[in-house]
Amino acid sequence: MNGHVKSMHFQQFMEPAATLLSLLLVMAVDSTRTVSASRNPGCNSLQQTLKLTRLVEKESVDLIKTYKVSQGEMSELFCKVSVNDVPDSNISGLEPSEWIVSIFTHLQAFFPHFKRVYEQQTDLQSPTSPLLAELTTVSTRSRSLAAFISSFYQGLFPNLPVPEPAGGPTTLPPPKNVFQQKVYGCVVLKTYKEFLSNVSQKLRTLKPKVCRRRMQINTLFFF
Amino acid sequence: MASAKSELVQSRCRVTRAWTSTCLPSGHLVISPDSPQSPVLEIGTDFAATCMITNTDEVTADDLYWTLSGTVVPKEQYTRINKTALSVTVPITSEKREWLLCRCKNVSAYVVLNKGRFMHGIFLTKGYRPGKPENLSCIAVQEERYISPNITCVWEAAGRQTGFVPTTYTLNVRSNIGMYNVSTREKSATVSVGLFPNHETLDIWVEAHNTLGKVESEHLKEEANWFVKTNPPSDVRVISERTFPTSLLINWAHPIDEVYVKLTYEIRFCPSGSQNWTYVPLVDTAKGIQSFRLQNLQPDTVYVTQVRCKNAIERGYWSNWSTNATERTPEDRPRSKPDLWKIITEDESTARQVWFICKDPVLSNGRIIRFDIKIQDHKDRVKNRSGELESIPVNRSKADPSPSQQKITILKQISLDDKKSVEVYVTAVNSVGKSPEASLVITEKVNELPTVKDLKVQRNGGQLCLEWKPPARPVSEYVVEWVSGSRIDWQREKGSTKNTVIKGSLEKFVSYTVSVYPLYSGVTGKPASKEAFLEEGVPLIGPAVKLKGKPGCNEAELVWNEIPQHSRRGFITNYTIFYTSGTKTHNITVPANTTSYTLKSLSRSTKYDTWVIASTIRGSKRGFNHSFTTLKYGTGEIEGIVVGVCLSFLFVVLLTMLLCIYKKDVIKDNFWPRIPNPGESTIGNWSPDYPLKTETPKENCLSGISVLDVDVCDGKCGSEDDKASLPLKKDKYLSEEHSSGIGGSSCMSSPRQSVSDSDEGGDMADTTASTVQYSSVVASSNGYKGQTPNFQPQQAIFSRSESTQPLLDSEENPDMLLQEGSRQSQHFSRQPSFTHTAGNEDSADPADFNQLEMEQQVLEPLDFCPLEEETTPTDGQSADGLPAALVSSYMPQLGGYRPQ
Repeated sequence: MNGHVKSMHFQQFMEPAATLLSLLLVMAVDSTRTVSASRNPGCNSLQQTLKLTRLVEKESVDLIKTYKVSQGEMSELFCKVSVNDVPDSNISGLEPSEWIVSIFTHLQAFFPHFKRVYEQQTDLQSPTSPLLAELTTVSTRSRSLAAFISSFYQGLFPNLPVPEPAGGPTTLPPPKNVFQQKVYGCVVLKTYKEFLSNVSQKLRTLKPKVCRRRMQINTLFFF
Repeated sequence: MASAKSELVQSRCRVTRAWTSTCLPSGHLVISPDSPQSPVLEIGTDFAATCMITNTDEVTADDLYWTLSGTVVPKEQYTRINKTALSVTVPITSEKREWLLCRCKNVSAYVVLNKGRFMHGIFLTKGYRPGKPENLSCIAVQEERYISPNITCVWEAAGRQTGFVPTTYTLNVRSNIGMYNVSTREKSATVSVGLFPNHETLDIWVEAHNTLGKVESEHLKEEANWFVKTNPPSDVRVISERTFPTSLLINWAHPIDEVYVKLTYEIRFCPSGSQNWTYVPLVDTAKGIQSFRLQNLQPDTVYVTQVRCKNAIERGYWSNWSTNATERTPEDRPRSKPDLWKIITEDESTARQVWFICKDPVLSNGRIIRFDIKIQDHKDRVKNRSGELESIPVNRSKADPSPSQQKITILKQISLDDKKSVEVYVTAVNSVGKSPEASLVITEKVNELPTVKDLKVQRNGGQLCLEWKPPARPVSEYVVEWVSGSRIDWQREKGSTKNTVIKGSLEKFVSYTVSVYPLYSGVTGKPASKEAFLEEGVPLIGPAVKLKGKPGCNEAELVWNEIPQHSRRGFITNYTIFYTSGTKTHNITVPANTTSYTLKSLSRSTKYDTWVIASTIRGSKRGFNHSFTTLKYGTGEIEGIVVGVCLSFLFVVLLTMLLCIYKKDVIKDNFWPRIPNPGESTIGNWSPDYPLKTETPKENCLSGISVLDVDVCDGKCGSEDDKASLPLKKDKYLSEEHSSGIGGSSCMSSPRQSVSDSDEGGDMADTTASTVQYSSVVASSNGYKGQTPNFQPQQAIFSRSESTQPLLDSEENPDMLLQEGSRQSQHFSRQPSFTHTAGNEDSADPADFNQLEMEQQVLEPLDFCPLEEETTPTDGQSADGLPAALVSSYMPQLGGYRPQ
């Protein structure tokens, strides 16, 4: 009889415990399913941005090669000359929110220079020159990259103000001779390539934080 | 208000006059809704229209009615709205376009005269709402180093559409930096996005729209690389490393830079010539690798390798397979035994000729350069295992594509005594090392181990299936051997096997001798064999038939050769022999083991064509014709005839000679008759009273001349036995003065004289008129009339026949015969009457002859000649043409009694 009573008490405790355990199990399964399904949108956005950055970086490298080939003799010297009024390749800001905005602003700053280089090279190259096509490609990709950066930033910092394109007119160098145009073009492309390298580096530093955080959440949830 | 409405109708009709002649500016009917005038209706819905009367009181709504494609719409579908409006509801079912007209009955002369004003219609165009496009898929292929900006999408159109209401599809692609679209009426389209947006998210969908509505497909919202199909990996190279005989290293290059598309790869390989690809698991090649090592391959084997790639993300399109990269793995030493076997031929001698043959090891792992063979006496095996090792080099060309395992190498031939047994050891050697040793024991002929039982070989599905019952003794292995002509092949089966199929390459229509050898720990047992065809056919050639020897009169023996083995193409079931003489063809079927046949019941001296067909279960083949002519006379037949004729002739000659010998007197008398000496004649002393007896010889001498008349009679009377006639002639000769009508036997029975001489014809009528006789014996009165002008009446003997036969008509009607008798009497006036009796065959009776002769002696004075009674007339003796002899035989009565 006593044994039977003890058994009854045990059963009374077991029912809520089983219910709680079932609930936790369902939540865990549901959380896992959600994470695996969405695969962390911030991480995905970062990865996409990184891929596109590397793509533009690679294309900018190819562009510089094509540029040097298309400029004739002494093309190696063109890129060693420093030119003013070209955006800096360095990214400013310490916090991610700051340097992401800096990246976006720099990207915006390069677009007029790409346009100027394209115009200058249009006069110097034949219409079928691969340089013009690659210039167009890099310019287009850079605009996409800017859109990616903006989107990533909004996803990462939804409460911060959306980065806006530079409001004022970009300072472009005055018209120069052909040599100076060639030097200018090479410096712009070289600087842009360095800038993209910095962007990649910066974004990679962010990857562990953005992508691991969710993984840690899952890990914490299970243990 | 009405005026404004009328104005509206008139203006509308001006616009639409081009397509409807019924709408006149001054019309009194108008349909609503009629804008547009050609409404597009959805099939499956109901359409309602209202006809209104304007600017007239001539008609009311009750006078209106509707027609659709010329057919009046039933009134049940009408709704009278008011006095001037009538609506109709029609279901839209068919796809054809048609007119819906509102018309007015002829209720007044005005309506009749202005019929055009009381009619208005609208043209109904029908269609379906667009269906939702389904199964949308898009692809962007690689062009040079980049992905093409042209994205091609295909989809399936759902629902139906009519030609009058077509559906247009718009393909939309939205990326981060813009939106692109293109429209088409097809089910596929290509949209250019300027620069393929790698790593960006693309939103792709299709919108289907027509005049009845629009609908969008499901959106494909995926990363752009999801739609990418790259080129296959380039520069695929396979590297063989000598230290790894079972491994090949594969290298390749990415078809596109990883910054555009990160790829995963798939590798497949197979031995050259095989299509059975082995796929490397994807988990091993999932990363963006550019090399991979294939392992666990067969040494010295050519492998074909291919690689393909696809976007490393979860979904995407696989590229095409790369071109073949071919490489041979390095050699390794043979890992299995050579397949050792033997061929034994036996002749009448006590030694067997044994050829040892073998195939390369299955795992030869390289090119076999030689075989090492060692043969030793089986009984000495335990004592001394070290026999003489002999190397047999082989020269195999690497260019030979056929597998070396199918090649048969003849190692050695030995002459083995029936009472001896040997054991053979063979190893195969390649450039790396030697194989394990294979052995085979050939036992004494008398000690051959038991064979399998009930071997059956059957065709099944283009293969030869074997089934047997194992012998009582445990078998370690079976060897299935098949031989066709000089070609031999074999395969090995496990000791537990009871049935198998021949795995080698067999040809159709070829005879194979299939044998199953049990092996008892390397010792071969006695084989069981069967003949078999993989597939039977019609023989290639027919049997060549010919005659054996010469044909006979009624028979001929045919022989034919068996069809050569390679031309049979199947088991001969039977032969059919055909032979014909031109009119009818005969055939005879004989068993397959027959090669000769004797045709019988042939016609003599007839040309026959003959041929033989050989039959298998698949058909028959006819051989060449052979012609022969049967003989007219059989062998010895001519000789027999000649001998028979000769013998017959000889017999006749002998018979004639005997006859001549025995009847020489008769012949002598006939041919050399005794002529009486006239000098001894007594005619000078003749007187009527002079007894005849003394004159008879004289008469006889004269009568001999009448023998010539007998010959004439012979010709008239048909056949007559000379032999029989001789005595008769003799008799005539002896009875020249006497004649008998019928019944020679009784001619002497009465002494009455018979009158037969025609010279005395006038007397005959008197005699016969009063006398009826069965027969009469007439004493011949003619002859040498000059010598005997007067007949002795007392010497005439009349004899009455004892025959019961009635007299002939001529006898019974003497009147009829009278004249004829007279004629005959005249005709035969110089003929002695007895000459006619010579035709009687019965007179040849020797008894009669003897009797006559005897009586002649006894009754010599009378000297009558007996005349046989002719009982049955012959053919030549018909009533009409009664021979003179016969007539004269019944003529005695005509003559009556000779006047004394």
